[in-house]
Amino acid sequence: MAQLPIIAVKNLTKRYGSTTTVKGISFEVKKGEIFGILGPNGAGKTTTLEMIEALRPIDGGTVLLDGIDVAKKPQRIREIIGIQLQSSNFYDKVTLKEQLKMFGSFYGESVDPMELLESVQLAEKSKSFPEKLSGGQKQRFSIACALVNKPKVLFLDEPTTGLDPQARRNLWELIQTINADGITVVLTSHYMEEAQLLCDRLAIMDQGEIIALDSPKAMIKQLLKRGFTKKEQVEQADLEDVYIDLTGKALRE
Amino acid sequence: MNAILLFAFTQTKRFFRDPIALFFTFAFPLIFLFVFGGIFGGNDNIKFEVAIYNNSDTAFAKKFVSDLTSGDTFEQVTDAGTIESAKEKMGRGELDTVLVLPQNFGNPNKQSLPSGQLEVYYDEAKPQTGQTVASVLSSVLAGINNDLTKTAPPFSVKQVATTNSGLSNFDYTFSGLLGFSMLSLAIFGLASRIPADKNNGSLRRIRATPFRPSQLIVGTMLYYGFIGALAVLLMIILGVTIFNFDMRGSWLQFALFSVPSFIMLLGFGLLVGGASKNENQSAVLTQIVALPMMFLSGVFFPRFLMPDWLQAITAYIPLSPVIDGIRMITTEAKTVVDLGPELGLIALWIVLVYLLTIKLFRWE
Repeated sequence: MAQLPIIAVKNLTKRYGSTTTVKGISFEVKKGEIFGILGPNGAGKTTTLEMIEALRPIDGGTVLLDGIDVAKKPQRIREIIGIQLQSSNFYDKVTLKEQLKMFGSFYGESVDPMELLESVQLAEKSKSFPEKLSGGQKQRFSIACALVNKPKVLFLDEPTTGLDPQARRNLWELIQTINADGITVVLTSHYMEEAQLLCDRLAIMDQGEIIALDSPKAMIKQLLKRGFTKKEQVEQADLEDVYIDLTGKALRE
Repeated sequence: MNAILLFAFTQTKRFFRDPIALFFTFAFPLIFLFVFGGIFGGNDNIKFEVAIYNNSDTAFAKKFVSDLTSGDTFEQVTDAGTIESAKEKMGRGELDTVLVLPQNFGNPNKQSLPSGQLEVYYDEAKPQTGQTVASVLSSVLAGINNDLTKTAPPFSVKQVATTNSGLSNFDYTFSGLLGFSMLSLAIFGLASRIPADKNNGSLRRIRATPFRPSQLIVGTMLYYGFIGALAVLLMIILGVTIFNFDMRGSWLQFALFSVPSFIMLLGFGLLVGGASKNENQSAVLTQIVALPMMFLSGVFFPRFLMPDWLQAITAYIPLSPVIDGIRMITTEAKTVVDLGPELGLIALWIVLVYLLTIKLFRWE
């Protein structure tokens, strides 16, 4: 029996004046997968994500999330999703523990802040203010905050941008752990290595359209079938391998 | 409900961890209190600063000067320099009047009684001062004349002060100060805090949750209402202890009247902060909303000094019923039952401003 998709996007469109930034795209996200949206800056990734998250009005098309129409019941949608936004922040001078309690109350849930903080390795920072965290810690806290309502889908907008290699690897592991608990993950990224490692399936966007949609492996296979060859012999190791070998995988913060 | 309360509680904690916010909220109204308390506090008696030039060396003239300056009405300024420089100072308002006793002042006349003519100089721009000083001196001299000629005047004037309530200037000013600090707490504080939270993205994050704008507005009102109540309480304690504020009404009535007043004023702060895209916008809107209230609601001078037509219009400015009401409670011992019209107007503004706030609120 074919499982119903957790997210079904049909002819989704966004216009700003005379320019159309998202041009009637359609795709589905399966329950339990990690789905990536890739593309250059300005391709419409964040706009697409924010329309699915009920943060931006939908100008055309429909989005069904867990069978609920996003445009009609945005409040229901907010209750079942978790969001890590690219340009959001947390109140200053409010400890991580207090933030999680407050965010829990927004969903009508009383959360165990310490358990959440432990799951993102921030237990010892429970009494710190968010403005005192490093980049990687901030992203992990942001994910902890997106998990307060035990969401069905977790949205991550460029979660590893600006992080050092150690913090990035650490975050990848965290995302995989969350996904292993049964939470569907939708993320955007600029890093091909990240997309290849994490994502079960990918959509590549450019100029408001989806120009490819498949698993990373299948995409590479199709490219090779078209007769593509790399100019140089693939090396057995690259500079990042050298860097990680020398500095180790341990988190620095 | 739980979400609103926890939000308000968290925001209150955040507020008390912010030294700058604390300073502007608690110290600012107090500075205001001390400045205006200093101006309107003090002695209510009329007092004239006078430079005296005694060109006579008679004993009568010397005694006259020392009697004059030992009273409360005249304070002698001794560093005025020459007569010319004293007149200059008078032109600048540093002196009220200049007295000159001519050389022959106190010399015996034909009846061998001391006689003479005082010269009183006053600024042309302040005829009242000149007239008051002249009449005060005339009555002083009339008394001396009567003593010398041993006659009692058939008619005399008895002065009776008409303000028998015993309230000082400060007691009247304080209600304006309380109203003004409520206004500044509500509008200047809130209107800039909300756009700051929009700017740094923290409201954006909350928007992604089921927390609604109405819940955010009520939560903000609760925590800021609590902080404002503390600031007003502090101001009252200092007004009573340092400036001897004479409360004629009951503090309970004051509290009952202040709660809806402050809720209404907070609405304006929430409206400006909620509707502004950023801090620049809110700064401009704050001025537009706050300035008419500051100058036309009787904060700095009572509204009854305005022309009738202006009084009729300014009665509807949101802060006017607040200040009128507080003044009637503190100086006339009125109760909220007497203040029906004021409370009705405040209620009307509450409905209007909160409807607009919910309607115009924007997350970013």
